[in-house]
Amino acid sequence: MVKKLIWNDIGQNKLSSAAAVFFMAVSAMLLSLSVLLSSGLLGAIDGLMERSKVPDYMQMHAGDLELSALSAFAKQHGEIREWQVCGFLNLDNSRITLGGRSLADSTQDNGLCIQGEAFDHLLDTENQKPEVRPGQVYVPVCYRMRYQLAVGDSMEIGEKRLAIAGFLRDAQMNSMMASSKRFLVHEDDYAAFQAEENMQEEYLIEFLLQDGTDTGLLESTYTAAGLPANGPVITRPLIRMMNALSDGTMIFEIFLAGIVVLLISMLCIRFLLLLQMERDRKEVGMLKALGIGKREIRQLYLAKYILFSGCGALAGLFAAFLLKAPLAGQLQELYGVMDGGAVPAVMAVLAVLIVEGILLYTVRCALRKTERLTVLEALYATQEKRTVRGQYVLIGFVAAACTLLVLVPQNLYTTMSDPAFVTYMGIGDSEIRMDVRQSENIDAVTEQIAEALAQDARVKQYAVLRTRACPVLLADGEVTRLTVETGDHSVFPVSCLAGALPQTEGEIALSAMNAEELGVTVGDTLRLPEDGKETVYTVCGIYSDITNGGRTAKACSVGEDLPARWSVVYVSLENAVEKEAWLEQYRQMGADAIDLADYVKDTYGQTLTQLQLAAKVAAVTAALVIAVVVMLFMRLLVEKERYTISLHKALGFTGTDLQKSWFVRGAVPVFAGICAGLVCGNLFGESLCGAVLQSFGAGGFRFIVAWKELLAKIPVVLAGPAILAILIGIAGIRRIRAYECCMGKE
Amino acid sequence: MEGLLRTEKLSKGSILHGISFEMKQGEMLGIMGPSGSGKSTLLYLAAGMDQPSGGKVWLGETEITGLKEDEKSRLRLHRMGFVFQQMNMMANLNILDNILLPALQANRGRHGRSRAELTAAARTLMRKLSIAGLEERRITQVSGGQLQRACICRSMMNAPEILFADEPTGALNKSAAAEVMVELEKLNREGTAVLLVTHDAGVVCHCDRLLYLLDGQICGELNLGRPSSGEEKQRRDKVDRWLKAVGW
Repeated sequence: MVKKLIWNDIGQNKLSSAAAVFFMAVSAMLLSLSVLLSSGLLGAIDGLMERSKVPDYMQMHAGDLELSALSAFAKQHGEIREWQVCGFLNLDNSRITLGGRSLADSTQDNGLCIQGEAFDHLLDTENQKPEVRPGQVYVPVCYRMRYQLAVGDSMEIGEKRLAIAGFLRDAQMNSMMASSKRFLVHEDDYAAFQAEENMQEEYLIEFLLQDGTDTGLLESTYTAAGLPANGPVITRPLIRMMNALSDGTMIFEIFLAGIVVLLISMLCIRFLLLLQMERDRKEVGMLKALGIGKREIRQLYLAKYILFSGCGALAGLFAAFLLKAPLAGQLQELYGVMDGGAVPAVMAVLAVLIVEGILLYTVRCALRKTERLTVLEALYATQEKRTVRGQYVLIGFVAAACTLLVLVPQNLYTTMSDPAFVTYMGIGDSEIRMDVRQSENIDAVTEQIAEALAQDARVKQYAVLRTRACPVLLADGEVTRLTVETGDHSVFPVSCLAGALPQTEGEIALSAMNAEELGVTVGDTLRLPEDGKETVYTVCGIYSDITNGGRTAKACSVGEDLPARWSVVYVSLENAVEKEAWLEQYRQMGADAIDLADYVKDTYGQTLTQLQLAAKVAAVTAALVIAVVVMLFMRLLVEKERYTISLHKALGFTGTDLQKSWFVRGAVPVFAGICAGLVCGNLFGESLCGAVLQSFGAGGFRFIVAWKELLAKIPVVLAGPAILAILIGIAGIRRIRAYECCMGKE
Repeated sequence: MEGLLRTEKLSKGSILHGISFEMKQGEMLGIMGPSGSGKSTLLYLAAGMDQPSGGKVWLGETEITGLKEDEKSRLRLHRMGFVFQQMNMMANLNILDNILLPALQANRGRHGRSRAELTAAARTLMRKLSIAGLEERRITQVSGGQLQRACICRSMMNAPEILFADEPTGALNKSAAAEVMVELEKLNREGTAVLLVTHDAGVVCHCDRLLYLLDGQICGELNLGRPSSGEEKQRRDKVDRWLKAVGW
């Protein structure tokens, strides 16, 4: 009997049944897709890091290297399991061509290397250690798509030519956020390049540590030991974070879309159910009068929604598995097959079960309303006007939520593609960035560049920042080392999470990671021993930073007598300056000079491509959801007001008159919702994205809104489908006849 | 006859004030009164569909007013039957399924009767009430009289001790109303007590006893006794005279 009731009910309410299944399926699809992709991504990243034996701690260095000192250090520290030094021949990008395309515009540090002996293995696309023969090269896999390369193409370095034998997965430097890229060559070729090109070798000093070792502590003891350290430090968590950040943004967007659609689904399903209960009120009353208990009546409705939920779950899961392949394409290219076994699938099924559970719980809660009705209320109470009002509010809410779905990914894309985005990563908001690192005489080169800049009429503004390793006295009397960047930070500031950057002597700003590790906040003090006495610095600000292991500090001046570990020079140029020629001039002086706009394009290119893809998925979802919801509810409203419409017709109103009035009724909440969505999206969307980015170490996030693009997109994606849906929804008005009202209201 | 339904000082807000009456097993009691006199409210209170503001109701030894909602539901399912003016039926089911609905609910579990047995019983009832052949029809495909007889079939499926009928002929034409009353009278003769609420003097002539309700209070009582053939006119005259006396 229950089966018959359900089938007959579905047959009579095809539209609302289809809508309920649609909402359940889309929610299940988006959330299971994000779970599938994220568990797959994390599994693949971890798998690759495991297989390639990524070092726990890596110090880059250029210049002299005493292996005996490193060996002694490793022996003294039991937490070091293994250590090795890998060579890296940094190439001049302008001399590299890949498959006939020059890398002159690349802001990455491209270099040659050989396979790590004990760990830090570079793997091929089969995740195996490749055998490189003389004359062959393995190219980072991220360049395969970018330069459309294939095995057999050639790589030219100056006059020399190497055959591309395959592509590399480099667990450390896969992400475009990692500033270096390694090309794997045979030992003989490596030695030949080093000798013939007279290139200075740079080193990756790598350590595998015991589980639970504090890398922050290791860093300070390493620096305090005076071991080679004039390059950045990279730790295993940072590598994992960079990989996850560059490829996880798309997944985060899909997850966000899933949550919004789930909320919309909860509201719509609840509303559909309440509308049906309102329509079935008399039947429910009759069942109650006949003695059928509330439990049995509840089961009747719940059974129908369990059926819908089952169909939605299966459809959603199927769609998620279908969509996974195209969306995971890039992830698989970078990290290999997402071989988490059955775990991602199980997680996806679990996500679907949770989604459907939430939706069924919504149904269960909505049914309570009917359970509370007495037999007589159900049989004879008049219809509630509130449900009609609620329907317009719901249309407005859905329009707002869909606007949010379009707006947040769009704003995130605009913000991340803006050059100023680097300020959230610990990089000054300038036009040009010059790094003086891995050089024998950093102070002299920096001084020479500073002098040149002071006399250069093409330069509008510049700031020279020197980084030194300064001792800091901890509360327990221990001394640790702090990487402090000194100079004028007000010219090209980074974004602060709290407080401000140092402006006077005695002030110091800390990166979020450092502040957390030292357990200090704005207003606290730090004691820095200088020239045999202690100087007290007040923490004036905390900023986000993912450079140099995320553990940095900024001050106007500190430890001026200490040698600089590296220098960074930020520059903005006057208009109409030929940038490339200008950059080349300063590169000749020994600086690694890059245009920050190109840097952003290079660094976040792959993330931005994914963001665009996710924004498209979100926009299509939003368009579909707004169209379905508006059409459905307008049709239901027309059906609900059938008597009134018929009465109006009987009084002489034409179908067109009524359609015009109903169009306005539908359009007002849609447009009000879109406006509300625009306001909320900019406020809450910013906070939400900011919170997520902050968890990655990039805080103080502000949306950069491209209003023109947004205002062009909204009419196409939201207003257009919504208007079309209103017109389809109210088309039924024409079919309502004037005599129907004479036949009674119910 | 033994007592079946008893109310004691039954009140409901400003609608009913201290109503006490008793119904015997197999009795057919009619409640009359003008609109707003509280007769439907009295029926719903007696059937446990509504909660009184004061007083008590017993069905046999069971005090209905003291039961929980679920217990009242079970009582209605197994011991009571209902016929409404609006013939409330499930639009999604055909006539046979509608008739079977409370019977299937009452016979759930291992010891209940099978669907086949219940269907056979429903068909018998339908034949008895002259609506055989309408089993597969939708509720919109039969006449008002046929639908009301289907409702009576449904109310009889669980062999109730008492059948509550709220204006059972209110939505029917004269001939259909007469047919329905004949069927109700037949069921009553077979032992089912009937509590009938109406404002149709022709309908109450089928009852054994009448109560007249005015402003929430019983203002008159008339014992008609069991109807027998050939007495219709005398019974109608008696009812008319009584109604006139109580101010109808």
